[in-house]
Amino acid sequence: MIPILDSAAGWLQETVLYPLLYALDLMQWEDVSFGWALFAVYGLVQVIVTFAVCLPLERWRPVETWPDQRAVLVDVLYTLISRVGLLPLITFVLFYKLQVALDGFLTDHGWVPPTLERIFPFLLGMPVLTFFLYAVILDFSDYWRHRLSHVFNWWYSLHAVHHAQRQMTFWSDDRNHLLDDIIGFIWFTAVALLIGIPPMQFPLLVLLLRFLESLSHANTRLSFGWLGERLLISPRFHRAHHGVTAAGLDSVNYGAIFPWWDMLFRTADFSAEYVQTGDPTAEEALATGSYAAQQWVALRRMVRDIFGRGGKEERKKAVLF
Amino acid sequence: MRSPILLLALTLLLPAQARAAGAVLVMNSSAASLSVVDMATQKEIRRIPVLREPHHWTMEPDGAALLVGDTVGNEILFLDPVTFELKRRLPISDPYQLGFSPDRKYLVVNGIARNQIDVYDAKTYTLVKRFPASTMPSHLDFTPDGGTVFVTLQGTGKVTAIDLRKMEVIWTAPTGKAPAGVMLQNGKLLVANMGEDNVSILDPATGKLLGRITTGKGAHQLFRSPDGKLIYVNNRIDSTSVALDATTLAAKRTYKLPGGPDDMEFAPDGHIWFTMRFAHKLAVLDPATGTFTTIDVGRSPHGIFLNPKAVASK
Ligand SMILES: [Zn+2]
Ligand SMILES: [Zn+2]
Repeated sequence: MIPILDSAAGWLQETVLYPLLYALDLMQWEDVSFGWALFAVYGLVQVIVTFAVCLPLERWRPVETWPDQRAVLVDVLYTLISRVGLLPLITFVLFYKLQVALDGFLTDHGWVPPTLERIFPFLLGMPVLTFFLYAVILDFSDYWRHRLSHVFNWWYSLHAVHHAQRQMTFWSDDRNHLLDDIIGFIWFTAVALLIGIPPMQFPLLVLLLRFLESLSHANTRLSFGWLGERLLISPRFHRAHHGVTAAGLDSVNYGAIFPWWDMLFRTADFSAEYVQTGDPTAEEALATGSYAAQQWVALRRMVRDIFGRGGKEERKKAVLF
Repeated sequence: MRSPILLLALTLLLPAQARAAGAVLVMNSSAASLSVVDMATQKEIRRIPVLREPHHWTMEPDGAALLVGDTVGNEILFLDPVTFELKRRLPISDPYQLGFSPDRKYLVVNGIARNQIDVYDAKTYTLVKRFPASTMPSHLDFTPDGGTVFVTLQGTGKVTAIDLRKMEVIWTAPTGKAPAGVMLQNGKLLVANMGEDNVSILDPATGKLLGRITTGKGAHQLFRSPDGKLIYVNNRIDSTSVALDATTLAAKRTYKLPGGPDDMEFAPDGHIWFTMRFAHKLAVLDPATGTFTTIDVGRSPHGIFLNPKAVASK
């Protein structure tokens, strides 16, 4: 599997990316461009694998069936933008520049950025264990990013895009406001700097984790059993986070990969129900609007929150009536 | 009753050992590893894990240690040049291309991501001076007396010359788009312009542009053959290696090498070993016939070090 994907990335670089960089007078970036090629190829495979596994699951044991599934289409667009095309490129450029600037600043002040492997040298020959440790730390930091996005009004206004979907499927994982995504990258970069995360060293394992995140949004009656539910996050577990009663500032099950942080900080809900999803307090445009409408309405709501013009009140009213 | 099998195994192993003719170390820049390749069997024998992104190497002046730079990992690895055993790890900011001055006084390290040219004391590895470089300092070469180092600035299309005695910049001059390889040859400075299809010829004293030789799109790296008679230019877009006459700089032969030829090394048997960045392989070229074989290594192989005396043991 890995050699095939790497070859595909190499092919993309040689036949598409390099001639493009050459034509655009950007050849100085040739070394960095391979990372993007890898990102795009593995992203595409991610989408295909997710599709091949989750679609049959959703057909086999759906939680809900909808006569009209148009609201799902925009999530497909979110997924493609986020995993294959534009976003990997932006992330890559942004991440690279930010990391170099911060790394450089720190090293100039006599502080070499640490890495897990430098602290624990035995990890160097153990890529899977190393990756697992990085994944645990990252998942922990992501738990808090997600939880905080439910604490601050302005932040939840952006995150409401993710929650507004009433027809939640495996496509819904990437349904995020662009600004929310950018905050996520900055958050990730800060943690990456602290523990020296190698972004593209383990592309296949990253693919696996992203697959789990997509699966957790699938519209399917799938639970991992008593023990499994406490090891990895299942569709049932994450559905509780998307429940109509859990939307907004007071939610449950904030985790993405491991449920441990929810268990540790007492936000876990292991009840066996498959709840209805959506955010009744959100404007209708956030649920059924176009990509552009969702982006715009959420941004407007955030601005109103920051400048104190009624965002919170509007939402409360919507709950009452 | 296991001895006959053991004997058989031994006889199978013996010829391979007898043929052992050195080993090659490959820096897999996108796989965070170094591949050790046996030259006789042309097979990857093992991988040495490193922190993040190994790109290039240089040899200590007395040959005691091979230095491999890990840019993103911010460290230099000191390896035994024969066994490739890791002897020491030294934290150093963004070591991309690196080289010792011929007078053995300094180690110059280009930080391509951090826009800095760092001069270290070659004995103590303490930083003597940092030159901010605008931008992306890439490859380097020295004058034979070690008094001057030339560095290409990939981001701004320039070359800079630094006086290592006075520790100051002598000149900075334009050469072409995205310059990479640089080499002082017969009193002229040759610079491969990767964003173009040519090598420019500069006056090393002033940086004045004297002329250009067309070699192929994406002209990337320059290598001198062991006998000093040829200069090879590897072109990344055209995927070719062009052999120039070292004296006249006239193109003598072009080798087509699909897969992105980058760095190269010369084997005693006359073959040339290339890293192929896109194909994730090595190519072993017979320059007499133009035919080549390939060897699988890790993702995006960049630097390559060949030692006929090295041992590719597990
Ligand atoms: Zn949420
Ligand atoms: Zn979700």
